[in-house]
Amino acid sequence: MDWALALYDERRREMRRLLVLSVLLHATAVALFVWTPFPQRDVVLPGVVTVDLLAPSALEGAPPAAKAPAPAPAPKAPAPPPEQARPAPPPPPTPPVEKTVVLPKEPAPAPKPKPQAAPKPAPAPKPAPRPEPQRSYEDVMKQLRQEAGEIEELTPQAPAAQTARAAAGAPAGAVAGSGLSSGRGVRVDPEEAAWMRRARIHVRQSWVLAPGFRTQNLETHVQVRLDATGNLLDEPRIVLRSGNPWYDDGVLRALQKASPLPAPPEAGEWLFVFRPEDWL
Amino acid sequence: MRRASGALALAGLLLAAAASAQDHPAVVVTDPGARTFKAAVQGFGDRQTKPGPEHVAELRQGIGAALAGSGVFTTIDPKAYLGPDTTASLDGSPTCPDWSQIGADALVDGVVVSGEQGLTVEFRIWDVVRCRRLLHKRYFGDAGDLDRVGRRIADDVVLAFTGQSGVAATEIAFISDRSGRKEVHVMNADGSDVRAGTHNRSINAFPQWSPNGNEIVYTSYRLGGQPTLYLLTRGRNQPGPLLQRVDKGAPIYRGVFDPAGRRLAFVMSVDGAPDIFVSAPDGSGSRQLTRHRSIDISPSWSPDGKRLAFVSDRTGSPQVYVMDADGGNERRLTYQGSYNTAPAWSPDGGWIAYETRVAGQFDIWLTDPDGRTAVPLVTHPRSDEGPSWSPDGRWLAFSSTRRGRADIYRIGIDGGNLQRLTSDAGENTSPTWGPFPGSR
Repeated sequence: MDWALALYDERRREMRRLLVLSVLLHATAVALFVWTPFPQRDVVLPGVVTVDLLAPSALEGAPPAAKAPAPAPAPKAPAPPPEQARPAPPPPPTPPVEKTVVLPKEPAPAPKPKPQAAPKPAPAPKPAPRPEPQRSYEDVMKQLRQEAGEIEELTPQAPAAQTARAAAGAPAGAVAGSGLSSGRGVRVDPEEAAWMRRARIHVRQSWVLAPGFRTQNLETHVQVRLDATGNLLDEPRIVLRSGNPWYDDGVLRALQKASPLPAPPEAGEWLFVFRPEDWL
Repeated sequence: MRRASGALALAGLLLAAAASAQDHPAVVVTDPGARTFKAAVQGFGDRQTKPGPEHVAELRQGIGAALAGSGVFTTIDPKAYLGPDTTASLDGSPTCPDWSQIGADALVDGVVVSGEQGLTVEFRIWDVVRCRRLLHKRYFGDAGDLDRVGRRIADDVVLAFTGQSGVAATEIAFISDRSGRKEVHVMNADGSDVRAGTHNRSINAFPQWSPNGNEIVYTSYRLGGQPTLYLLTRGRNQPGPLLQRVDKGAPIYRGVFDPAGRRLAFVMSVDGAPDIFVSAPDGSGSRQLTRHRSIDISPSWSPDGKRLAFVSDRTGSPQVYVMDADGGNERRLTYQGSYNTAPAWSPDGGWIAYETRVAGQFDIWLTDPDGRTAVPLVTHPRSDEGPSWSPDGRWLAFSSTRRGRADIYRIGIDGGNLQRLTSDAGENTSPTWGPFPGSR
């Protein structure tokens, strides 16, 4: 683009006429040439230069057009001191600040700290009421897809269609009762599935995801305790962190804003998984 | 891919485990309902010895405007507030439900206090949904700094909610011929407060910031028509020369500081064909990275300073390449299109933006540094050129002739939020986005 310094202006005007740039070298040569004449028009330059050496301005020192007379606030930048002063909250301020989140929290740790969470759910499989023998990778995938998919078109008994769906990427009537026919997986009754759908729609409305987070494969699992009318009974609890504390905070905020949720089929613990878009 | 599957399987197992533990499957939420947070900005309490309502109003207005321009926040009209319109005190916490009920995610409260040397602006940022204070901070300045303080506060709000600062307090340098000659100009990242950086009435081109934001290196033809590099320093009146130690006779077309500010990659023509060199800013330790009879130009550093993207026409047409910072491992990235140039490496290292010619005009595309994928970002029947990343990686500045004359625009990297920054003043090209002010 540098040599195109000249081309740059010409591009617009001559674009159409420009012969195929196969001979770019020529163009370049031309460009370079073209340049020489330019300044030559101002051959007076040396003189000019001297003059402007006196005047030339620095970035901010220059702004003749700008407002105040002292437009070079570079030194008195409002910033420097406060940076240090930042964590200095005045008197005993806010009570609710249990863990005053001074700005640079832990900058997003490494990848997903799955290990952290692993221990929690890990013990779970044991008490699992359902026969959950060796779940094959396919089963897991299937279930995952189904859970991620639309639960609305719940068709609990459709073993045949089910496999077909799963094969097709299971977008359609994916059922959270994947294993119904084989007795594996998690059974979801229609009422529960309908609530899950409503809950998902309800919660998503209060979930704000700033641009930039969508592409990062962030996933957070949160456990909530709901009363029979859908109120959050206490603060949602993260059981799997995404690795990005701001994303996790956003998820918690979404759940709190969403309270009360639609009344669940039964009071108690529910797990919410937040995962922007489907990276399946 | 295998890693993804592994993660997937693990996630699946976790899901299943957790689900069976409580006998319910998980509710999976994949589609966020909104992309912007809502902020309420209180009028700051006026504790100046001589009350200055205009200062307080200016500050609030500035914070609101900067937040609205962030692409991450929208502001709530004070008429809708249930809580107080003005901050009475910074003791204690606000009544969060008053704010969350009106849909706010964030509340900014603060006071302006007369200090020994000017003003102190003390403020807090609240997550009113969880009722947590995220930040408590002070800025010092005088009345003339309030505009910048407002921008800094807005950037802090964005940082508190996303982990990445906003760019309201950053600047963009560009070339404009509004004075009749192509001079380096600087403006705020929203297009306000345009200042001329050079007044040499020659031709100036390719401004590039130093990583600390205190200098701009640019190419000028001011001496005898031979292009060479100069350094414009903040607060100093006189541009200084660079690369005094390299061959005086050779034209130098463009210089780019490495991310640490210790090396300069530059384009110099020693034997007729421009090549890429690297040296210390004074020209010592100069090293030639490309050795082709072709044209090798437009260097752009990777954020870790280990690689360079550049343009070469060695295959007959300009294409984007990458190489190691020592010149090794040259590899071509772009294969689509017969004319790809002006690469710009994103701050997170994940993307390289570049211009590609389509039907005689230029569009802006993104590719990953391995050249596996390329996606269009800015397409328009007129030309869009010279992409430059914002330091937070959320925006690209570029110049476009879509309204006839070339103007500087910025666009969110998701393709939204297009904003025109310059208007009705000459041809404005070659934008280059400066670093965060904190790096000064």
